[in-house]
Amino acid sequence: MEKKSFIKKLTGSREALLAAVLLVLFIVVTIINPSFLTVKSLMDMLKNNAVTMVMALGMLCVMLVGGIDISIMSTLALSGMSIGMLLKNDVIASTPLAFLIAIAIGICCGLAVGLVISRADVPPIIATMGFMYVFRAMGYLVSNGGQWAGAAALGDFKKFATTKFLGINCVIWVVILCYAFFFWFMKWTRTGRMIYAVGSNPSAAQVSGINVKNIKLLVYVIMGLLSGLGGALQVSVYASAMPDMQYGGEMDVIAACVIGGVSMSGGRGSVLGALLGSLILATIAKALPLIPFFDQLWLNTIKGVIILVVVVMNVVLQRIADKNALKGREM
Amino acid sequence: MAGKSGRSINNVPESSIKRMIFSWEGILILIFIAVNIFCAMFSEFYNVSSLLRQMPVYLAEVFLMLPMAYILVLGEIDISVGSIVCLSATVCCIVCNMNAPFIVVVLTGLLVGTACGAVNGFILTKFTELPPMIVTLATQIIFRGIAEITLGSGGSITMSNLDGFNAIGGKVGQVPYILFLVVILAVVFAIILGKSTFGRRVYAIGTNRLTAYYSGVHVQKIRMIIYTVMGTVSGLCAIFLLSSSFGANTTTGNGFEMDAIAMAVFGGISSTGGKGNIAGGVIAAFIIVCLRVGLGQQNVHAQVILLIIGVLLIAAVALPNIIGQVRRAVKTK
Repeated sequence: MEKKSFIKKLTGSREALLAAVLLVLFIVVTIINPSFLTVKSLMDMLKNNAVTMVMALGMLCVMLVGGIDISIMSTLALSGMSIGMLLKNDVIASTPLAFLIAIAIGICCGLAVGLVISRADVPPIIATMGFMYVFRAMGYLVSNGGQWAGAAALGDFKKFATTKFLGINCVIWVVILCYAFFFWFMKWTRTGRMIYAVGSNPSAAQVSGINVKNIKLLVYVIMGLLSGLGGALQVSVYASAMPDMQYGGEMDVIAACVIGGVSMSGGRGSVLGALLGSLILATIAKALPLIPFFDQLWLNTIKGVIILVVVVMNVVLQRIADKNALKGREM
Repeated sequence: MAGKSGRSINNVPESSIKRMIFSWEGILILIFIAVNIFCAMFSEFYNVSSLLRQMPVYLAEVFLMLPMAYILVLGEIDISVGSIVCLSATVCCIVCNMNAPFIVVVLTGLLVGTACGAVNGFILTKFTELPPMIVTLATQIIFRGIAEITLGSGGSITMSNLDGFNAIGGKVGQVPYILFLVVILAVVFAIILGKSTFGRRVYAIGTNRLTAYYSGVHVQKIRMIIYTVMGTVSGLCAIFLLSSSFGANTTTGNGFEMDAIAMAVFGGISSTGGKGNIAGGVIAAFIIVCLRVGLGQQNVHAQVILLIIGVLLIAAVALPNIIGQVRRAVKTK
């Protein structure tokens, strides 16, 4: 009896398991290399992974309704490149305006994706694959044939990533605000609950009066918004804008969500899970160069193996839990 | 009621010629002709011999479309093929640089591909709850990661012994060998999917997996076979890719999975499973190949060509759905 409830608890609260994994990871890395667990190194880690962390929130919403979006990094490149070129050609100079423009471009992209998926019934993977090409190419066209906007061209904008507010970097503040907002949004607002409802059973949601099409549109717009924000963050953190930035980075975002326990078929997942998932990925990426023997070349393989182990573990734990539930019924 | 009777009137069998033109394959052939006329007008260098000369580079991806069509008909997806191409190209180069005979190099490439495909198939059939998208996402990262480790810090490798690869890159008259192979494989895959028991079972699984299982179809065995064949064909693609690039690097095969899926979906193979045939996929593949050759001749940047392919892909899936919705809306009025 004791053992059963323990396993049940373990599978029931994924977040606790993930937090434990993260803690173990922290301890192991710190033992191997004490320079990991310093405030500066942790802040650096958060800052460098801000883009993935913010976008994992959007991916969470998309995956909750059973969709997927692989066009996000193209949206990021388009919005980031657009403000990069605007700053470079001295059309705009103020940082808030640049952020607003990037977010507006992101929302437009998200709207296009959402309309195609929700109104024309195109499968999400196909639609976003098409838009992945389209937005990336538009970013390239915006860049005037592959030009960069280097650090010198960006002016005051790059200072955003180096200024501190209350002792914490502005970029990290953006991440914190986003997570705080979404924690409230997904848990305590009607719209947030509707997203969960649509994800767990679309037809039940439909008959109970939720406009499923609009919710689907909404999640892709949220994803677009966060991609636009991610574009601005990316440009300011790395102090450069180029049309091929974050190529293939959408897999990192999806991986963060999957590790965080967001189900591909929809309806299951939480903001806390997305946070822990992206933190685990970030820790591994940060810690690997600190460990002797493993060098940066091993990063991708280890990342892939971890994703595979996590999803397989999930299935195995679920099977054990199901078997135990059946046993209980037999008695 | 009105809707129902309307539908039955619509289903009155039409003449076979009319059906052929209005089927998706008919539309694709028209698009194919239109693309060729457009390219010929757009570029003065565009003719049959230049097309045949420049085609082989793009034809390697058409290989991938064939098994990908099977996977899409199953209602699944495999996004690890680009990485499998990268890994087998890398291993091929290493084996070739050890002065192994050419046949060994080719076999190694095919073997590495098959092994990777079998890994995908094994995980997916052992843990059937897992969505293929996630598993192949993970293996995509792993296979490319292994290739990165193998390539070392330089990140690229070139071949020293080119004889064998020059030979398979050759041609009969003006027609390159690879075109023959693409046509032969396409016919084989089309016959197996369209006419054989195996193919009908694939459609059955794609339409309704549970029903297929209860009617005695070995669902997991068939999935295992298809994913393994996908790996083998990726290895084949890698070998032909090497016959034009003579080397591999960490970005070899980047985005190939997307191109293969785009060709298949553009060819009318539904990603939700159970629909489509190889013929449509092959015509769509040649539309994309011709577009790339034609636009490439006029120095249109690869990104712009991708933009066109992206728009074509979305339009190909969205337009029939929108037309259907409009028709239904008009009818209910």
